[in-house]
Amino acid sequence: MSGDATTEQPNVVRLPAKPFADVMSPLYSGLVRRLVLVLGNREDAEDVAQDAYERAYRSWSKFDGRDPRAWLYTIALRLAFNQLERRRNWGRIISRSTPREWTDAVDPDLLSALNSLQPRVRACILLHSVDGFTLGEIADMLGEPIGTVSSRLSRARTGLKAALEMR
Amino acid sequence: MSDDQQLDVRLGSLEARIPGAVAPDLEHKRRRVRLAGRSAVAASLLLLATVATTVAIGVVVSGGVRGYPGIENPGQPLAGAQMECMSPPQAAAYLAAHGFNDVVWQVESGGTGRGEGTTTFVTAPPAHGYVMPGAILDDGKLHMIIDQRASGHAVGACYGMPMP
Repeated sequence: MSGDATTEQPNVVRLPAKPFADVMSPLYSGLVRRLVLVLGNREDAEDVAQDAYERAYRSWSKFDGRDPRAWLYTIALRLAFNQLERRRNWGRIISRSTPREWTDAVDPDLLSALNSLQPRVRACILLHSVDGFTLGEIADMLGEPIGTVSSRLSRARTGLKAALEMR
Repeated sequence: MSDDQQLDVRLGSLEARIPGAVAPDLEHKRRRVRLAGRSAVAASLLLLATVATTVAIGVVVSGGVRGYPGIENPGQPLAGAQMECMSPPQAAAYLAAHGFNDVVWQVESGGTGRGEGTTTFVTAPPAHGYVMPGAILDDGKLHMIIDQRASGHAVGACYGMPMP
Protein backbone atom coordinates (compact mmCIF):
# COMPACT_ATOMS: atom_id res chain seq x y z
CA MET A 1 0.00 0.00 0.00
CA SER A 2 1.58 3.21 -1.13
CA GLY A 3 -0.54 5.50 1.02
CA ASP A 4 -0.82 7.92 -1.87
CA ALA A 5 -4.37 9.17 -1.44
CA THR A 6 -4.30 11.08 -4.71
CA THR A 7 -3.46 7.95 -6.70
CA GLU A 8 -5.97 5.81 -4.90
CA GLN A 9 -8.75 8.34 -5.15
CA PRO A 10 -8.25 10.22 -8.43
CA ASN A 11 -11.60 11.94 -8.13
CA VAL A 12 -10.77 13.66 -4.88
CA VAL A 13 -10.66 17.40 -5.47
CA ARG A 14 -7.48 18.96 -4.19
CA LEU A 15 -8.15 22.28 -2.52
CA PRO A 16 -5.60 25.01 -3.05
CA ALA A 17 -3.19 24.93 -0.17
CA LYS A 18 -1.92 28.50 -0.44
CA PRO A 19 -3.84 31.69 0.16
CA PHE A 20 -5.40 33.23 -2.92
CA ALA A 21 -3.22 36.33 -2.91
CA ASP A 22 0.04 34.38 -2.69
CA VAL A 23 -0.79 32.43 -5.82
CA MET A 24 -2.75 34.87 -7.93
CA SER A 25 -1.29 38.31 -7.23
CA PRO A 26 1.96 37.64 -9.09
CA LEU A 27 -0.06 36.62 -12.15
CA TYR A 28 -2.11 39.78 -12.29
CA SER A 29 0.31 42.02 -14.09
CA GLY A 30 0.84 39.50 -16.87
CA LEU A 31 -2.88 39.04 -17.17
CA VAL A 32 -3.40 42.74 -17.74
CA ARG A 33 -0.68 42.77 -20.41
CA ARG A 34 -2.26 39.82 -22.15
CA LEU A 35 -5.70 41.39 -22.08
CA VAL A 36 -4.36 44.65 -23.47
CA LEU A 37 -3.20 42.73 -26.53
CA VAL A 38 -6.35 40.66 -26.84
CA LEU A 39 -8.77 43.53 -26.27
CA GLY A 40 -6.60 46.26 -27.81
CA ASN A 41 -7.61 48.60 -25.05
CA ARG A 42 -6.00 49.16 -21.68
CA GLU A 43 -9.11 50.38 -19.91
CA ASP A 44 -11.14 47.36 -20.97
CA ALA A 45 -8.21 45.10 -20.14
CA GLU A 46 -8.04 46.39 -16.58
CA ASP A 47 -11.80 46.07 -16.17
CA VAL A 48 -11.82 42.49 -17.39
CA ALA A 49 -8.74 41.61 -15.35
CA GLN A 50 -10.34 42.90 -12.17
CA ASP A 51 -13.54 41.08 -12.92
CA ALA A 52 -11.67 37.86 -13.60
CA TYR A 53 -9.59 38.28 -10.47
CA GLU A 54 -12.68 38.77 -8.35
CA ARG A 55 -14.41 35.77 -9.90
CA ALA A 56 -11.33 33.67 -9.28
CA TYR A 57 -11.32 34.82 -5.67
CA ARG A 58 -14.93 33.83 -5.23
CA SER A 59 -14.31 30.42 -6.79
CA TRP A 60 -10.99 29.79 -5.08
CA SER A 61 -12.36 26.92 -3.02
CA LYS A 62 -13.40 25.14 -6.23
CA PHE A 63 -10.05 25.52 -7.95
CA ASP A 64 -8.27 22.18 -8.35
CA GLY A 65 -4.87 23.73 -7.66
CA ARG A 66 -3.19 22.48 -10.83
CA ASP A 67 -2.32 25.48 -13.00
CA PRO A 68 -3.38 28.82 -11.53
CA ARG A 69 -2.24 30.83 -14.54
CA ALA A 70 -4.23 28.69 -16.97
CA TRP A 71 -7.23 28.92 -14.67
CA LEU A 72 -7.04 32.69 -14.31
CA TYR A 73 -6.45 33.18 -18.03
CA THR A 74 -9.37 30.91 -18.85
CA ILE A 75 -11.71 33.00 -16.74
CA ALA A 76 -10.31 36.25 -18.10
CA LEU A 77 -10.27 35.29 -21.76
CA ARG A 78 -13.83 34.10 -21.68
CA LEU A 79 -14.85 37.38 -20.08
CA ALA A 80 -12.79 39.21 -22.68
CA PHE A 81 -14.53 37.46 -25.55
CA ASN A 82 -17.88 38.32 -24.02
CA GLN A 83 -16.69 41.89 -23.78
CA LEU A 84 -15.68 41.87 -27.42
CA GLU A 85 -19.04 40.46 -28.40
CA ARG A 86 -20.79 43.25 -26.54
CA ARG A 87 -18.46 45.79 -28.06
CA ARG A 88 -19.23 44.46 -31.51
CA ASN A 89 -22.91 44.95 -30.80
CA TRP A 90 -22.55 48.41 -29.32
CA GLY A 91 -19.31 49.50 -30.90
CA ARG A 92 -20.90 51.96 -33.24
CA ILE A 93 -22.46 53.75 -30.30
CA ILE A 94 -19.79 53.44 -27.64
CA SER A 95 -16.13 53.43 -28.46
CA ARG A 96 -13.16 53.75 -26.18
CA SER A 97 -9.86 55.36 -26.96
CA THR A 98 -7.01 52.97 -27.59
CA PRO A 99 -3.79 54.51 -26.32
CA ARG A 100 -0.85 52.61 -27.76
CA GLU A 101 2.16 54.63 -26.76
CA TRP A 102 3.52 51.62 -24.87
CA THR A 103 3.79 49.54 -27.98
CA ASP A 104 4.15 51.98 -30.81
CA ALA A 105 7.68 52.63 -29.68
CA VAL A 106 8.46 48.93 -29.44
CA ASP A 107 7.22 47.07 -32.46
CA PRO A 108 4.47 48.96 -34.28
CA ASP A 109 4.51 46.61 -37.26
CA LEU A 110 3.91 43.58 -35.09
CA LEU A 111 1.21 45.35 -33.12
CA SER A 112 -0.54 46.34 -36.30
CA ALA A 113 -0.30 42.81 -37.66
CA LEU A 114 -1.55 41.38 -34.40
CA ASN A 115 -4.51 43.74 -34.34
CA SER A 116 -5.48 42.62 -37.82
CA LEU A 117 -6.18 39.13 -36.47
CA GLN A 118 -9.46 38.02 -34.99
CA PRO A 119 -9.39 38.23 -31.17
CA ARG A 120 -9.64 34.47 -30.69
CA VAL A 121 -6.88 33.91 -33.23
CA ARG A 122 -4.82 36.53 -31.40
CA ALA A 123 -5.42 34.75 -28.11
CA CYS A 124 -4.33 31.43 -29.59
CA ILE A 125 -0.99 32.68 -30.87
CA LEU A 126 -0.24 34.50 -27.61
CA LEU A 127 -1.14 31.54 -25.44
CA HIS A 128 1.02 29.28 -27.58
CA SER A 129 3.98 31.47 -28.48
CA VAL A 130 4.36 33.56 -25.35
CA ASP A 131 3.00 31.27 -22.64
CA GLY A 132 3.92 27.95 -24.15
CA PHE A 133 0.54 26.33 -23.59
CA THR A 134 -0.07 23.24 -25.68
CA LEU A 135 -2.86 23.01 -28.23
CA GLY A 136 -4.83 20.80 -25.86
CA GLU A 137 -4.46 23.25 -23.01
CA ILE A 138 -5.52 26.16 -25.19
CA ALA A 139 -8.50 24.16 -26.42
CA ASP A 140 -9.56 23.59 -22.81
CA MET A 141 -9.05 27.22 -21.91
CA LEU A 142 -11.04 28.59 -24.81
CA GLY A 143 -13.61 25.81 -24.80
CA GLU A 144 -12.91 24.89 -28.41
CA PRO A 145 -11.85 21.74 -30.28
CA ILE A 146 -8.12 21.17 -30.72
CA GLY A 147 -8.55 21.24 -34.48
CA THR A 148 -10.00 24.72 -34.30
CA VAL A 149 -7.14 25.90 -32.13
CA SER A 150 -4.60 24.32 -34.45
CA SER A 151 -6.21 25.97 -37.46
CA ARG A 152 -6.27 29.35 -35.72
CA LEU A 153 -2.68 29.04 -34.69
CA SER A 154 -1.62 28.22 -38.23
CA ARG A 155 -3.68 31.12 -39.56
CA ALA A 156 -2.13 33.45 -37.00
CA ARG A 157 1.42 32.50 -37.90
CA THR A 158 0.75 32.78 -41.60
CA GLY A 159 -0.99 36.11 -41.20
CA LEU A 160 1.66 37.62 -38.96
CA LYS A 161 4.51 36.45 -41.14
CA ALA A 162 2.85 37.80 -44.25
CA ALA A 163 2.18 41.14 -42.59
CA LEU A 164 5.73 41.32 -41.34
CA GLU A 165 7.07 40.08 -44.67
CA MET A 166 8.94 37.29 -42.97
CA ARG A 167 8.45 35.14 -46.04
CA MET B 1 16.65 31.26 -35.46
CA SER B 2 13.59 30.23 -37.49
CA ASP B 3 10.82 32.61 -38.47
CA ASP B 4 8.53 30.98 -35.93
CA GLN B 5 11.08 31.45 -33.18
CA GLN B 6 11.65 35.07 -34.21
CA LEU B 7 7.95 35.66 -34.13
CA ASP B 8 7.65 34.13 -30.67
CA VAL B 9 10.45 36.33 -29.37
CA ARG B 10 8.93 39.46 -30.85
CA LEU B 11 5.52 38.66 -29.46
CA GLY B 12 6.98 38.03 -26.02
CA SER B 13 8.95 41.23 -26.19
CA LEU B 14 5.94 43.22 -27.32
CA GLU B 15 3.83 41.99 -24.46
CA ALA B 16 6.62 42.44 -21.93
CA ARG B 17 6.84 46.15 -22.76
CA ILE B 18 3.22 46.78 -21.91
CA PRO B 19 2.93 48.27 -18.43
CA GLY B 20 1.46 45.79 -16.00
CA ALA B 21 -0.77 46.55 -13.06
CA VAL B 22 -0.91 45.85 -9.38
CA ALA B 23 -3.40 43.25 -8.27
CA PRO B 24 -6.48 44.71 -6.59
CA ASP B 25 -6.35 45.10 -2.84
CA LEU B 26 -7.73 41.85 -1.57
CA GLU B 27 -9.10 43.30 1.65
CA HIS B 28 -10.95 45.88 -0.37
CA LYS B 29 -12.09 43.20 -2.78
CA ARG B 30 -13.13 40.93 0.03
CA ARG B 31 -15.25 43.70 1.49
CA ARG B 32 -16.76 44.40 -1.91
CA VAL B 33 -17.53 40.74 -2.41
CA ARG B 34 -19.07 40.49 1.01
CA LEU B 35 -21.16 43.58 0.47
CA ALA B 36 -22.20 42.32 -2.93
CA GLY B 37 -23.07 39.01 -1.33
CA ARG B 38 -25.15 40.74 1.30
CA SER B 39 -26.98 42.72 -1.32
CA ALA B 40 -27.66 39.58 -3.29
CA VAL B 41 -28.90 37.81 -0.19
CA ALA B 42 -31.08 40.75 0.73
CA ALA B 43 -32.53 40.89 -2.77
CA SER B 44 -33.11 37.13 -2.73
CA LEU B 45 -34.85 37.32 0.62
CA LEU B 46 -37.05 40.14 -0.54
CA LEU B 47 -38.00 38.17 -3.63
CA LEU B 48 -38.44 35.06 -1.55
CA ALA B 49 -40.71 36.78 0.92
CA THR B 50 -42.74 38.28 -1.88
CA VAL B 51 -43.07 34.98 -3.71
CA ALA B 52 -43.84 33.06 -0.54
CA THR B 53 -46.48 35.52 0.49
CA THR B 54 -47.99 35.59 -2.97
CA VAL B 55 -48.12 31.82 -3.16
CA ALA B 56 -49.47 31.57 0.35
CA ILE B 57 -52.22 33.99 -0.51
CA GLY B 58 -53.03 31.91 -3.55
CA VAL B 59 -53.23 28.75 -1.53
CA VAL B 60 -55.46 30.04 1.22
CA VAL B 61 -59.09 29.40 0.51
CA SER B 62 -60.82 30.50 3.67
CA GLY B 63 -59.74 32.35 6.76
CA GLY B 64 -56.77 33.41 4.66
CA VAL B 65 -53.89 35.69 5.27
CA ARG B 66 -54.80 38.09 2.48
CA GLY B 67 -54.27 41.66 3.57
CA TYR B 68 -51.86 40.74 6.33
CA PRO B 69 -48.14 41.22 6.03
CA GLY B 70 -46.25 37.95 5.57
CA ILE B 71 -44.31 36.90 8.60
CA GLU B 72 -41.12 36.71 6.50
CA ASN B 73 -41.63 40.00 4.73
CA PRO B 74 -39.03 42.70 5.30
CA GLY B 75 -39.71 44.42 8.60
CA GLN B 76 -41.73 41.51 9.94
CA PRO B 77 -40.64 39.40 12.94
CA LEU B 78 -39.25 36.50 10.89
CA ALA B 79 -37.93 38.39 7.88
CA GLY B 80 -35.59 36.16 5.94
CA ALA B 81 -36.22 33.02 8.02
CA GLN B 82 -36.58 30.85 4.90
CA MET B 83 -39.07 28.54 6.54
CA GLU B 84 -40.15 27.49 3.07
CA CYS B 85 -36.99 25.41 3.00
CA MET B 86 -37.93 23.56 6.21
CA SER B 87 -40.18 20.62 6.89
CA PRO B 88 -43.28 21.45 8.94
CA PRO B 89 -41.75 20.05 12.18
CA GLN B 90 -38.57 22.01 11.55
CA ALA B 91 -40.59 25.15 10.93
CA ALA B 92 -42.51 24.51 14.15
CA ALA B 93 -39.28 24.15 16.09
CA TYR B 94 -37.95 27.33 14.53
CA LEU B 95 -41.12 29.19 15.39
CA ALA B 96 -41.08 27.91 18.96
CA ALA B 97 -37.50 29.06 19.31
CA HIS B 98 -38.63 32.51 18.27
CA GLY B 99 -41.55 32.67 20.65
CA PHE B 100 -44.32 31.54 18.35
CA ASN B 101 -45.85 28.72 20.34
CA ASP B 102 -49.46 29.21 19.36
CA VAL B 103 -49.51 28.49 15.65
CA VAL B 104 -52.42 27.55 13.47
CA TRP B 105 -51.42 25.13 10.72
CA GLN B 106 -53.60 25.28 7.66
CA VAL B 107 -53.05 22.09 5.69
CA GLU B 108 -54.02 22.09 2.03
CA SER B 109 -54.32 18.64 0.49
CA GLY B 110 -56.04 16.82 -2.36
CA GLY B 111 -56.25 18.12 -5.91
CA THR B 112 -56.39 21.57 -7.35
CA GLY B 113 -59.61 21.23 -9.29
CA ARG B 114 -62.90 22.62 -8.12
CA GLY B 115 -64.07 20.71 -5.06
CA GLU B 116 -60.98 18.52 -5.03
CA GLY B 117 -59.02 20.36 -2.40
CA THR B 118 -59.28 19.97 1.34
CA THR B 119 -58.39 22.55 3.94
CA THR B 120 -57.75 21.46 7.48
CA PHE B 121 -56.78 23.58 10.47
CA VAL B 122 -54.64 21.84 13.07
CA THR B 123 -52.67 22.93 16.10
CA ALA B 124 -49.71 20.59 15.52
CA PRO B 125 -47.59 20.66 12.40
CA PRO B 126 -48.04 17.77 9.98
CA ALA B 127 -45.04 15.56 9.32
CA HIS B 128 -44.72 16.50 5.66
CA GLY B 129 -45.61 19.21 3.20
CA TYR B 130 -44.31 22.40 1.65
CA VAL B 131 -44.17 25.19 4.17
CA MET B 132 -45.74 28.46 3.08
CA PRO B 133 -44.88 31.19 5.54
CA GLY B 134 -48.09 32.80 6.68
CA ALA B 135 -49.06 35.83 8.71
CA ILE B 136 -50.34 36.90 12.10
CA LEU B 137 -54.08 37.37 11.81
CA ASP B 138 -56.53 39.33 13.94
CA ASP B 139 -56.71 36.51 16.46
CA GLY B 140 -53.08 37.24 17.27
CA LYS B 141 -51.99 33.80 16.10
CA LEU B 142 -49.53 32.98 13.40
CA HIS B 143 -51.21 31.07 10.62
CA MET B 144 -48.88 28.87 8.62
CA ILE B 145 -49.87 27.04 5.47
CA ILE B 146 -48.73 23.56 4.56
CA ASP B 147 -49.22 22.53 0.98
CA GLN B 148 -49.60 18.78 0.60
CA ARG B 149 -51.38 18.85 -2.73
CA ALA B 150 -50.16 16.60 -5.50
CA SER B 151 -49.41 19.63 -7.65
CA GLY B 152 -47.81 21.54 -4.81
CA HIS B 153 -44.25 22.73 -4.90
CA ALA B 154 -41.77 24.54 -2.76
CA VAL B 155 -41.40 28.27 -3.19
CA GLY B 156 -38.61 30.81 -3.08
CA ALA B 157 -35.10 29.55 -2.58
CA CYS B 158 -36.28 25.97 -2.39
CA TYR B 159 -38.41 25.98 -5.50
CA GLY B 160 -38.10 22.60 -7.18
CA MET B 161 -36.95 20.77 -4.09
CA PRO B 162 -38.78 17.56 -3.12
CA MET B 163 -41.47 17.75 -0.51
CA PRO B 164 -39.93 17.60 2.96
